[in-house]
Amino acid sequence: MKILLAVQDGIPIVREPFSTIAKQLGLKPEEVVKRLQRLREEKVIRKFEVFIRKRKVGITANAMVVWMVPSNRTQEVGEFFAGFKEVTHCYERRTVPDKWRYNLYTVIHGFKRKTVKEVVKRLSDASQVEDYLILFSVKEFVRRSSGRVRPEDLRTPRTNGRLLSGT
Amino acid sequence: MKATGRLDLMDRRLLQEAQDGFPLTLRPYASIAKKLGVSETEVLERLNRLHQKGIIRKIGPALNPGRVGLRASTLVAMKVPGNRMRKVAKLVSRYEEVSHCYQRDNEYNFWFTVAAHDEVELEKVLEEIRLGASIAEDDVLDLRATKMFKVDVRFQLV
Repeated sequence: MKILLAVQDGIPIVREPFSTIAKQLGLKPEEVVKRLQRLREEKVIRKFEVFIRKRKVGITANAMVVWMVPSNRTQEVGEFFAGFKEVTHCYERRTVPDKWRYNLYTVIHGFKRKTVKEVVKRLSDASQVEDYLILFSVKEFVRRSSGRVRPEDLRTPRTNGRLLSGT
Repeated sequence: MKATGRLDLMDRRLLQEAQDGFPLTLRPYASIAKKLGVSETEVLERLNRLHQKGIIRKIGPALNPGRVGLRASTLVAMKVPGNRMRKVAKLVSRYEEVSHCYQRDNEYNFWFTVAAHDEVELEKVLEEIRLGASIAEDDVLDLRATKMFKVDVRFQLV
């Protein structure tokens, strides 16, 4: 947990970044690396990578596409959409009777709206799902990592204790 | 001009490599350098420059919310009158439970994701936001996920 707290906002860009972290925590660099590898294997860390501000590299077209998929096809279509590299998120979500009938969600990013629309067309044609809405983002207000460890989590043991053992 | 114009090919190859597989080793940047056939120093210089320019947000982990104790989450859509958009955005942004918040072009024009430690905490945050923003219950959609097929936020840069 201490390690996650120390690395979650980013590691330094120096020759031995994990040595810097280790020094802060009073651990051996090898220990930090080993624990991070284990957290990744255990899927506590979903991914360790460089995070890009997509707008700054020109990826300004961001669409959430919501689809109405017959309930007997959500599994098949969900897996199919997830296979496209342009699709970064794919979820099934509950509907709201009389208000919102869409049950499958995909997020697609692109350099231009036109390209995103082309991808959506491909998804629609290939899946034969024709009832959908493309919701382009007009403005981004918040964008931060969704799983965060809080300093107070270090002091509050959680009942299932999963994270406390060895982190 | 294509928007990636300010990144040269090596920048893009480097970002792609560090996006697709960052090595968890003592000298990760040396491993990346080796793969790209450049020096570790060059990798460090380029990454530091990209970080200073704000192109790199961070190099670090994406945590699995459910595994760090955030067991209740949802996507919310609201109908917010245009003249109140900024105020509502400001209110919502203050919650650390909110990770994404966008204005989108739909009748439901305000979308955000929330993750909390449990259902009680989640409901509390949602209720606070709804009341604080003075949005009628009828103008809010609580769109809980029932199945996750994919989360993989990587971009094709090369």
